[in-house]
Amino acid sequence: MKLSLWRKCALGVLSVSLFNMGMMSAASAAIVDTSALVTTDREADLGAIHAQLARAEVRAQMEQMGVDAAAVEQRVARLNDRELHQLAADMRNAPAGGDGALALIGAVFVVLLILELTGVIDIFKKR
Amino acid sequence: MAGHAAHRTACLALALSLLLAGCVARGPVMSGKRTELVETPFFPQKKFQCGPAALATVLSGSGAPVTADELSSLLYVPARRGSLQVEMLATPRSFARIALPLPRTPGTLIAELEAGRPVLVLHNYGLPFWPRWHYAVLIGYDPGKDVFVLRSGSKRRQEMRTRRFMIAWHYGGRWAMVVLRPGETAALDDPKSFLEAAADFERAAKPADARATFDAAVHRWPQEPVALVGRGTAAYRLGDLGAAARDYAAALLLDTTQVGARNNLAQTMLDLGCPHRARQLLEGVEVAGVDAPLREALNDTRRTAETRAASIQDSESCRAIP
Repeated sequence: MKLSLWRKCALGVLSVSLFNMGMMSAASAAIVDTSALVTTDREADLGAIHAQLARAEVRAQMEQMGVDAAAVEQRVARLNDRELHQLAADMRNAPAGGDGALALIGAVFVVLLILELTGVIDIFKKR
Repeated sequence: MAGHAAHRTACLALALSLLLAGCVARGPVMSGKRTELVETPFFPQKKFQCGPAALATVLSGSGAPVTADELSSLLYVPARRGSLQVEMLATPRSFARIALPLPRTPGTLIAELEAGRPVLVLHNYGLPFWPRWHYAVLIGYDPGKDVFVLRSGSKRRQEMRTRRFMIAWHYGGRWAMVVLRPGETAALDDPKSFLEAAADFERAAKPADARATFDAAVHRWPQEPVALVGRGTAAYRLGDLGAAARDYAAALLLDTTQVGARNNLAQTMLDLGCPHRARQLLEGVEVAGVDAPLREALNDTRRTAETRAASIQDSESCRAIP
């Protein structure tokens, strides 16, 4: 069977586009991210159940803590499930690197506290 | 005058903290030779902005063009007057860099320095119960003078006594991180932590960057199935199905119980027009103990393989694939 040039051409284009269609539907299917291979069962289960809750929680806390509303979405979007859980759990208390300088009031308090604890002074106790 | 008093109080508090810390930071790590990464850029910090400044330092040190001001909106938490570790680790992904947290041993800091990589550290200049957190970038050390060299705060070059550095680092939870370019691995020889960081990176990364990252891991740790799976998935996403199939198959040779590799290989076989091979791969695979996302993917792939295998024969070329 002899095919003319344009027919061969059309056939080629058609088969390539059919192949691509197949690829597109398949690519969205069942390849798992590598992260599914390195997280533990517990993390994965937590992720499945609580990720949405954690996301909402982090979003709310960020807004409360004065993060610019426009930036909150961007900041939450880049976090994975594990990071969302970590932040949701202790955003208020986790170390926050800031200035590092020992504030005067803080230093005075610390000194007073040590003196108090060692029994040199007695100003914090209720009488 | 007031400044002087503040200074003295701060000194007193520091002396106290040193006193208390005496037991925790003995035996510094100074050995080897003098190192200083003088090319490391510097971003003087604005008030409370040491997080963005330190991260901009290591990111631009690794060739990612970014400034401290640009990072501020991604890192700073006003109510905490600082930046959080989780976000310090998450942000480099947005600039095509992998963030790797380091283990809590001083030797790893030195090893990264000697490999030419500045190290971002968290310091605590207060006390365990009265913390003053600060991020700084370690760029060198000098065993002769017994000092570490930092880019820190408003100081382009700060020398800090080893002992003082170690105390502040210890009170900061011994936290440190480095950033890596795609295709780089750290001096740290720990495939597990690298692959976790690489998997975090994979989601945000361009497939080509993910491929370079896992390719480096395969070369560094050839016996790691997860490194092969990661590289395979990057190849798959770039449309190189043959390479993907080879990597997944190699991972399965190393570890036949690696269900993720099995699922991804079966999916690749489906895409290559080999539903019978795909079905064979998933035959008898137990899903009971498998994590939820992986289990769903596996069931999905199995169903598709069975449906297609009922109506389609594997093509000739399937035999040539590993």
